[in-house]
Amino acid sequence: MAHHEVERFSAGARLFHWTVTITAIVLAITGLFLWVPAFGSLAEDSYSRIIHRVAAVILVAAPLLFFISRPGRALHFVKYIFTWGKDDIEWLKAAPDYYFGGDEKKMPPQGEMNTGQKLWSLVAFLSVIGFVVSGAIMWFAKASIPAELFLWVTIIHDLCFIVSASMTLVHLYLGAIHPRMTESLKSMLKGKVSVEYAKHHHGKWYAEISKGKETDNKQAPSTH
Amino acid sequence: MAKAILFDSTKCTACRGCQVACKQWNNLEAEETVNTGTYENPPDLSSRTWLKMRFIEPPDGDGKVWLFSRRACMHCTEAGCVKVCPTGAVYHHEEGFVAYNKDICSGCGYCVDACPFDVPRMVGSTLTGKKKMEKCVFCADRVANEEKPACVKTCPTGALIYGERTEMVDLAEQRVSKLAADGVDAQLYGKDELDGLHVLYVLAHSPKDYKLPVNPEVSPSVTLWQDILKVMGYAAVGAVAGGLLLNYMVARARMVKEKEGK
Repeated sequence: MAHHEVERFSAGARLFHWTVTITAIVLAITGLFLWVPAFGSLAEDSYSRIIHRVAAVILVAAPLLFFISRPGRALHFVKYIFTWGKDDIEWLKAAPDYYFGGDEKKMPPQGEMNTGQKLWSLVAFLSVIGFVVSGAIMWFAKASIPAELFLWVTIIHDLCFIVSASMTLVHLYLGAIHPRMTESLKSMLKGKVSVEYAKHHHGKWYAEISKGKETDNKQAPSTH
Repeated sequence: MAKAILFDSTKCTACRGCQVACKQWNNLEAEETVNTGTYENPPDLSSRTWLKMRFIEPPDGDGKVWLFSRRACMHCTEAGCVKVCPTGAVYHHEEGFVAYNKDICSGCGYCVDACPFDVPRMVGSTLTGKKKMEKCVFCADRVANEEKPACVKTCPTGALIYGERTEMVDLAEQRVSKLAADGVDAQLYGKDELDGLHVLYVLAHSPKDYKLPVNPEVSPSVTLWQDILKVMGYAAVGAVAGGLLLNYMVARARMVKEKEGK
């Protein structure tokens, strides 16, 4: 049983994830040139802005391409991250005990994405919309909108960054560093997780995908 | 010691020699414009027009009042442009005015929207964002060599004077009292505005009549953005990073304990 693995992320989903990852890192770094005074000199002569804008186009194009090529999957994702229930509240209440102390007794069973992943996806989804709308205004409408409005649009752009950068740290930590999240990074690189990990961390999801397939695995999925 | 340019609107004949001298000294190309029925030309400041004269007929002047005013960078002490510039390209010169190092300008254009007087102009490509800001530089090169700014040097009527700011304030106040004694509703603009402008105006009407903002201020959103939001950003990222580090240490210690227990 130890060798059995299930597919968690398709090749397309992984390509999308890492495209957005690299793009977001480039956008964050080139954006920080204008934020941190010590990096200011790196923004001289606008080259970092050109890179920022090329990356911005990719950040807009990638989700659009995903949506066009896999509309069902994309819609499912959007619907999923906006659907919140009782289990999510329970998860949020129980999460500190689990992530600090490893106490998993109170963790409700989780679906394809756990509540934390849903929360992160929601923040990423909404902040990208915030970035794109405010960024497009800063790019194309700077000369035609009142100065005061431009200042507010810039503030929104920066606010999106504060929220999404903070959450990116959490995402990076839980995905790749937290000592109990043993297969999270692997799943996004290779697409698969072990059956044990799937049952343990995404019980509801595992029950769904294994319905009718694995008759030898009748035991109830354990928590989270 | 802070320097200043004093513009006395009551001595100005609107010859626009200053406009031409500015272009000539700073190598700024002429602009092709259309006749709109006024001597005022070009219609606005641009990346190659850093100084222009305004010809104003105030609506309540019954067609008998014709005001001339100087439009260029006001060189504020509390300067919105300096506050928002991410690279330090726009900065306060030791002589008080707002100098500009074009080489290190990133072209963000934040200064344009932070300026209470709508002075900085951008030149470059909107598509790529490869741009540079342009504005009056107080003829920093001339001033450094103890020369007057080009506009002052060329002024034939003494409407533009250049010198130590304190002396210019004294001179302007004397001029205002003299005009007041002659029955003119004269006032000084720029002494205290934005902690002191480095271009002072002797006006014969209200600032509003000269299309100058009454009580100009750096927008509160600039303060919110630069002084509050940025600090919030560092605090948020720092707090999250600290929390995660703490979590790592606690979770790790717990797992080691579990293993030892087994």
